[in-house]
Amino acid sequence: MTSSMSDEELMSQVRNGVGEMLGVLFERYQVPLFNFYLKLTGERSTSEDLVQEVFFRILKYRQSYRQETPFRAWMYQIARNARVDYLRRRKPETSWEPEMSPAVAPVDTAQQSQESALLHRALMQLPVEKREVLVLSRFQDLKYEEIAQLLDCELGTVKTRVHRALQELREIFHELQSGRPWRGSSSKGAGSWPGSGSLQ
Amino acid sequence: MARFREFAMKCEEIEGLLPDYLRNKLNSDRAVLVEQHIAECSQCSEEVEIWKKLAQLPVEQPGPSVSTRFQAMLESYQEGRWEKSSLASEHGKFKGLGDLVAWLRTPSLSAAWACVLLVAGFLGGRYIDRGKENDARDKQLAEMQTELHSTKQLVALSLLQQQSASDRLQGVSWTTRMNAPDPQVLDALQHTLRNDSSVDVRLAALDALSRYGSRPDVSRGLVDSLNGEQSPLVQLALIDALVDLHEAKAIEPLKRLQRDTNVDPTVRKHADWGIRKLT
Repeated sequence: MTSSMSDEELMSQVRNGVGEMLGVLFERYQVPLFNFYLKLTGERSTSEDLVQEVFFRILKYRQSYRQETPFRAWMYQIARNARVDYLRRRKPETSWEPEMSPAVAPVDTAQQSQESALLHRALMQLPVEKREVLVLSRFQDLKYEEIAQLLDCELGTVKTRVHRALQELREIFHELQSGRPWRGSSSKGAGSWPGSGSLQ
Repeated sequence: MARFREFAMKCEEIEGLLPDYLRNKLNSDRAVLVEQHIAECSQCSEEVEIWKKLAQLPVEQPGPSVSTRFQAMLESYQEGRWEKSSLASEHGKFKGLGDLVAWLRTPSLSAAWACVLLVAGFLGGRYIDRGKENDARDKQLAEMQTELHSTKQLVALSLLQQQSASDRLQGVSWTTRMNAPDPQVLDALQHTLRNDSSVDVRLAALDALSRYGSRPDVSRGLVDSLNGEQSPLVQLALIDALVDLHEAKAIEPLKRLQRDTNVDPTVRKHADWGIRKLT
């Protein structure tokens, strides 16, 4: 019964005081949200705390939800705010620095292909703004329109960012494959169009 | 050079089309254009490949504590604790879990629990004496005790999530009265240590957690907390706790503290002491 209900119907019920409906939303989104945070922070315990924080806020601010608002967009807005607040409370040098990220390895490294492991490392080295747009579009399956709304920017800007993020990810991935350490985007002139590099 | 320019033009065009192509949002004519370009341009084709490969990255599962904490939060909400505590009627008329929490705050806490267990055992025993088999009685008693144990935990978890710092402090002290706190309680304590806004509550959580420092998950959590902690008082207490536990993994975070010029000088000095103790 509840499994056929839309996110928006469920959230409207939560707003009207039917708390158990939040349980259905939790089942739908705890894993996507956890992966959203894990790919941004690289820290399991932080990601788990933030998932908890999102559902706490959903319940706390349930009255501000309007049924015409797509639930996912509303939830990811809360998720981003929770992350910003969390960052504010942490010391800057322990935040999302790339060198903190490799501490988290995929759970089952043995079974992962070396390529996937490299790609994971490359993703974690991507600057967080670029990583976020990729994570939202590729892993959270948000439409570009939804991302634009979330990031408060133009649709075209989102598409450009996706493209730039992929460009840089490809470059980092290559560096890692060749065994050279990634020295950051400044030395590579990232942000230029794809043909400006070493065209073969 | 001409070929270079041809590619360049196309790559620029692709910049506008590729994101939609990746999401299968292009009409077939435009998709064909992109595919023709990809067939010729290794860099753009690699971007498409990378996009596809990203889907192969595994989906990670959160630990079971996420679900447990969510359920505890939801239950405390459904029992009406949220609205009532927001009205600051902490001594008011609670129902259900609220009543239990109020009652648990009385000084005769342990005695009360002992009474509950005794009465439960007595009633259970009487009921079963009317012809039930012994194993059925044992099972029922075990169930009752399990239920009471979960209620205790729920209370501790519920208190840890209260708005008022003194309530959370009670939640922390309540966890220390348990013989063997379950992982979710330890998890809630770790969460409190990392995130609570009150220094007193964080110190109390650290004190409670130090008792279980031999557990690897707890000691790891203490090391993690050292990274995020900003209060000198808690930093000093954390250093002491980690030195007591002989936790070698603390050395790196301690070195960072020691080097950090923004950190309180006393803390840096103490970190230096801790490093020497641990190495």
